[in-house]
Amino acid sequence: MSLAATESAASFELRSGDAGKTSIVLKGQFDAASTARVWRELEAALRHHPPSSLEVDASGIERSDGSGIALLHFLSMGAMATGVKATIKGLRPELDGLFQRFSESDYQKNLPQPPPHVNVAEHAGEATVQVWKDSKELLAFLGEAAAGTLSNLAHPKRMRWHEVRRIFEQAGVNALPIVSLISALVGLIIAFEAAAPFAMFGAQIFIANMLGIIMAREMAGLVTAIILAGRSGSAFAAELGTMKVNEEINALETLGLSPMRFLVVQRIVATTLLTPLLTVYAIVVSIAGGILVMMAMGFPLITIYHQMAQTLRVHDIAVGVGKGFIFGALIAGIGCLRGLQTKKGPSAVGESATRAVVSGILLIIIADAVVAVILYILHL
Amino acid sequence: MSQTGDIVITVKDLKMGYDDKVLMENLNFQVRRGEVFVILGGSGCGKSTLLKHMIGLIPPMAGSVCFGQEDIVTVQGDERLKILREFGVMYQSGALFGSMTVLENVLLPLNEFTDLPMEAKNLVAMSKLQLVSMDAAAGKMPAELSGGMQKRAAIARAMSLDPGILFLDEPSAGLDPITSAGLDALINDLSGNLGITFVVVTHELPSIYTIADRVIMLDAKTKSIIGEGDPADLRDHSPNPWVRQFFNRQADEPKETSPTTKQ
Repeated sequence: MSLAATESAASFELRSGDAGKTSIVLKGQFDAASTARVWRELEAALRHHPPSSLEVDASGIERSDGSGIALLHFLSMGAMATGVKATIKGLRPELDGLFQRFSESDYQKNLPQPPPHVNVAEHAGEATVQVWKDSKELLAFLGEAAAGTLSNLAHPKRMRWHEVRRIFEQAGVNALPIVSLISALVGLIIAFEAAAPFAMFGAQIFIANMLGIIMAREMAGLVTAIILAGRSGSAFAAELGTMKVNEEINALETLGLSPMRFLVVQRIVATTLLTPLLTVYAIVVSIAGGILVMMAMGFPLITIYHQMAQTLRVHDIAVGVGKGFIFGALIAGIGCLRGLQTKKGPSAVGESATRAVVSGILLIIIADAVVAVILYILHL
Repeated sequence: MSQTGDIVITVKDLKMGYDDKVLMENLNFQVRRGEVFVILGGSGCGKSTLLKHMIGLIPPMAGSVCFGQEDIVTVQGDERLKILREFGVMYQSGALFGSMTVLENVLLPLNEFTDLPMEAKNLVAMSKLQLVSMDAAAGKMPAELSGGMQKRAAIARAMSLDPGILFLDEPSAGLDPITSAGLDALINDLSGNLGITFVVVTHELPSIYTIADRVIMLDAKTKSIIGEGDPADLRDHSPNPWVRQFFNRQADEPKETSPTTKQ
């Protein structure tokens, strides 16, 4: 009989004798529904008539599942009438077998206790230790990845170029539609939002100057990098994380192959090369998006071109493309690191993918800020 | 082994497979209340797939699986829920919920489907874990357990609502002989004393001889059942040489039939 079946007929009778001597007679069929009702009623009855000793006549129990047996154990442990342990009598042999199988002492010993309350200071301490450990792992990973990349470049046969090509296609070529859409929309939105304030000064034509510089130096690279972090960084973390959970990483190591040189370097090389290319593409598409808005405002294409050519210099494009190399290496590196850090368990891969995206975007923004400061100091 | 009763599951003219690939066809058999029914066959022949058809996870290509009078594929709403409540399923991998402790995994069906007080739920859940010797690991996460421990915890979860029918997919695989023998004793006990029906997929010969009331053996080449009955009887008297070879654990493959083809 299912525990969750409809309620069966089960009842109890409480008999109080001299000096608190109490006996309980249980009758009927005990399933989850009937036991739940009897349990609560019995608890209330014993609270009103606290016993000095307790005896349970279980001979009237016709059928019982785990919940009925649990009720008997609860009485037998003295948990219902605090401190007074009940004696169980008359249980049918087949139910007695189930009853005897359960060890009350093991139950009390092994029932997990709720975790102790951790205060804010402990949380802060643990988080600090975690950040310190994470930083050390990141530093070690950087060193190993750099050494692995140099070693593979020195021995090109080790590189597994077909894997580099596969990643180039998956993370680069297959990302073209989403990069196109988002870049075009960003260019379009920026030109559109700038139109009203520029119009106040009759300076709408200068949207072309702003668009060229902002897209080439900053926005196109940043948008591309964030798309790649969400799309490919998480994919690398999930891919390597699944390999870790399935012990494929262990298998590689026992075959004498370094996961760093076999898996990570290919991803770093491919992503570092494809991010600048995608950035160039994003610059073109986003500027095209902005130009569309300007043409809609009535400016001829040739005017927009001349206006943009006046301010947009090659080194602006070089700055954007140069940052693409840095962003690409960061996205692939952090994706692979989070993948290799994956712990055991089914939710671990998801956690790694999330951490890869969060850390990837954070590092991209920090790197962008650092590069901006350096370029300012160098007057570039 | 137990006394058996009326028919609880009827599989009729079942054709099963994936996409266009047919694994088995014209399967006909019945499972009786209280019996331990074992599904045998070579690796990859479709034993676990048959189990998934029996619990309604995969719709058949043709034929039906009925619980009493209800077809598990076509029945909907409350009737379907009622049938599902009668099931307990242990999957081959354990399939414990990774974000919950072992105890929370076993408590989940109790919390969802019963109105018992928390103390009662804890007692029921811990008693199921004690049955499979997993109570000491009640507070652990599934990721902290070995494969065998995960399977035992999964059996406890499958039993948490005291279902009438338990489906176990390779319960003994990966367990040490002592735990495996304990599990066999538990299956016999639950089947004999509480009348629980078991449908078990297993390869373990000692386990088969200990628990099985009746077995069916699937063959991938003929896509059909090539043996049905008592395991000791099939071992000694089956007309099919591959069935005898399987039960006698002989390595050489006879020419008449081959055990399986890869899925």
